[in-house]
Order: sequence, then C-alpha cells, then structure tokens
Amino acid sequence: MDLYPAIDIRDGGAVRLTQGDFDRQSEYGDPVELAVRFAADGAPWLHVVDLDAARTGQPVNRATVLAIAAAVPVPIETGGGVRALSDVEELLSGGVARVVLGTAALDDPTLVQRATAAFPGRVALGLDYRRTPDGRSEVAVRGWEDGSGRTVGELLTEVAGSGLAAVIVTAIERDGMLTGPDLDGLATVLASTEVPVIASGGVGSVADIEALASLSVETAAGAAHLHGAITGKALVDGRMTVAEGVAACARFG
Amino acid sequence: MIAVLDYGIGNLRSAEKALQKVGADARLVEDPDLAATAAGIVLPGVGAFGRCAAALESSGLGAVARDAADRGLPFLGICVGFQLLYEGSEEDPAAEGLGILDGTVRRLPNGVKHPQMQWNVLESTHSRLLAGVPDPAWVYFVHSYAPERTGDTTATCDYGGPVVAVAERGPVWGTQFHPEKSGAVGLGILSNFVAAVDAATPGFPSGDG
Repeated sequence: MDLYPAIDIRDGGAVRLTQGDFDRQSEYGDPVELAVRFAADGAPWLHVVDLDAARTGQPVNRATVLAIAAAVPVPIETGGGVRALSDVEELLSGGVARVVLGTAALDDPTLVQRATAAFPGRVALGLDYRRTPDGRSEVAVRGWEDGSGRTVGELLTEVAGSGLAAVIVTAIERDGMLTGPDLDGLATVLASTEVPVIASGGVGSVADIEALASLSVETAAGAAHLHGAITGKALVDGRMTVAEGVAACARFG
Repeated sequence: MIAVLDYGIGNLRSAEKALQKVGADARLVEDPDLAATAAGIVLPGVGAFGRCAAALESSGLGAVARDAADRGLPFLGICVGFQLLYEGSEEDPAAEGLGILDGTVRRLPNGVKHPQMQWNVLESTHSRLLAGVPDPAWVYFVHSYAPERTGDTTATCDYGGPVVAVAERGPVWGTQFHPEKSGAVGLGILSNFVAAVDAATPGFPSGDG
C-alpha cells in the first residue's frame, strides 16, 4: 500500500476542511512548499485537490497544481474540477501522473470510458460518499455539497471493465475528523470491484494506516487489499510524520 | 551544461528541475547548435515510440544525440527516451530508433496490466548508475514497452517476469522508469549521472564552465 499525503488548495493556499465543510477550514501556507516537504520526507505519491474547482468547476488553482507537479520528484494525482477530456489532457501533459474524475463522471457517464481509452492507466475515479440513515453509501457531488442519489456500489458496477487506474473512496463524514477510517465501508468496496482502491478519510494515526494496510477481503480472484491511503490533517497537525506513515504501509506489504 | 533535449513531446520541466535540484546546470534545449555544446545529454520521452522518434529527427536533435554518443559524452535516456537509444520498437515497427544500443523494444509480458504505472523495486548487478542509492531501490514506472534484455542490462524489475529497467554501455545510460519522479532513489541516480558529466568535463572542477 502506498501513502498519499494530501494537499487541498483553496484560493492558492493549502487548507484542510473538516467533513468537506467550506466554513470549517485550517490553513497551512504555500501548497508548493508543503508538497516539496512531503516529497522530501519520503512520500511516494501526493494527492492534490483543487477545492475551488471541485465546487465551481472553474480550475482556478490549476497553475498551482502544475507547479507542484514540476516541483516534486514524485508522481502526483490530482482532482477537483476535472469535467472534460480537455481537463484530463491539460493536466497529464502538464506533468501530472494521474487525474481523478469526480462529479463529471456522474453527469457524463461516457467521460470515464473516453478518458481511460485515451489515457490508459492514468485516470482514476473519485467516489465521495455519506452514509444515509438507511445505511447506504450515497455518492456526493459538486465539492460534496450535493448528493447524487446513487450509491458507491451502483457506480462501481457502471464503471466495471473501463480500465480505471484506481478508485478513490472518501468517507466524507470521516474526512478531517481523525477518528479512524470507515473500514467496513472499504471492505465492501474491496469486495465489489477489481479496480485498485485508494482509501481516504478519517486517518488520524499510524495505527489507522496499519489498519488500512492490513485490511484484507477474500474475493473470487483471491485476497484483495487497498492500494493506497490518503491522509492530510494527521500529517499537517503533527500526529504522524510522512516517514512513519510510509513505514506503517510497508509493514503489511 | 547538461542539455535536456526538448523536441516538442510534452512537459519536461520536472526532469530539468530534478537535475537542478542535485546541483546540475541543466537546461531544456530546443536549439541543436546549443545542444551540441553540452557536456552531457538527457533524452526524455513520453508517449508513443514512433511519434517521439519522428519528433526527435524533425527537431534536428536526433543528429545531436547520435553525435554526442559518438563523441562519448555522458548520455542519459529516460522512459521513451531510453527506448529511443535502441534500434526500434514493436510499438511502431516502421519507426527507427537512434541505434546507439543494440536491441529492440518489446511489449510488456501478457497477463499483467498495461501500462505498468506504479512504484516497483529494482534488481541490479554492477550498476554505476545505481551506485550508492538506497536499497531496496523503489522507482516509479509508467510504460507498456521496455527494451529487450541484452549484455547492457544492469537492472530489471519484476512485472510478469524480469523487465529491463536500466542499461549502461560506457557513458550511455538509460532508465525505463522516471528518476525525476522516483524520490530519493531517483535523485541519487540523477546525482550519479551529474557526477559522471562533471568527471568527463575538461577542467572540472577548476574550469569556469
């Protein structure tokens, strides 16, 4: 499992939201400096999100995203406001390793197919979900402010066989809470897709990374494990260093 | 000066920046006359072999690359730039490589995902390029093709079988992975290349460059 330190960008600055709430924000300075620091500390990947673009569709922080891609000696994946094939192309040709489709993939079901066909291995799907009162995992859209009415499982079925590099599954209610990941929800996802799964939301400690790395689900194709874990606040708040997180990932392969 | 050959195939800033990070006077160079004055050559490449080969020739930098190899300048090919050092590729059989190294570029084994896009660990023997880098050496790959194994191969990774990751022949070195995206190991590799350029540059370190 690879560790993906997260950098969320709003108005050109690195921030962290709590539960995706734009009114509950902490600020962490220059995102390029933060990225360089994470990479120097041993991060194998960086997960970079343009929060303004996620909400409005306007890629206002794209220059910053591309500046990070140029500045760090590790691959970056990025999402937020990626709504057309031209966005995917601009980001990949600008030095980004992997692009994450979100809202756009729900509004235009052909986008996943077109993007994965044009850029095999370099397109991921982001599914950000909330638990509904009846226990379903409903996917949220537009910077998490709206619900889509569809579940994680339904969307994974729709994109089966499309050649996605990864699916990034975010438990919105855990995000920025440091209360631990949604292991049950992740186990369900692992059991229901052959696409590599990257987990996001709730990581607050090295023990949480160990729990994610050791998560194992028996499937018809053998034991399935998580391919990555995204963590933001735990790193910038000093609860865990990048090196500790990477070591915890490696301990369980 | 180390010339990172810029022949119009996309964004090469991260290769330039990573070389600068390890102390090199590295520049993206489009002008063949300027490239011909370099003390070392880096040939990057992304995308399809045929398109890169055609772009390299039409830019005039293909001739510079061959001439630099003939003169024994330190030379580093990266990813498709590494593949271009060979005679040709199964990806575009009509396209010609530079022919600086013997052999052909082949498709990755069946039964594994194409492209390989991940961190993978190197198995190496007698590699000067990998001297002193952290062990195990994890590096970042994005590719569907790789050169066949020859006497020049000094490192492989396991991806449905051994896949060529590094080749070295005299001053000509190449990596199938991206050292500029491979963290501390990658920077160590680039640093070894820069040291080779410095050692081969007359007057170094007292010269005025």
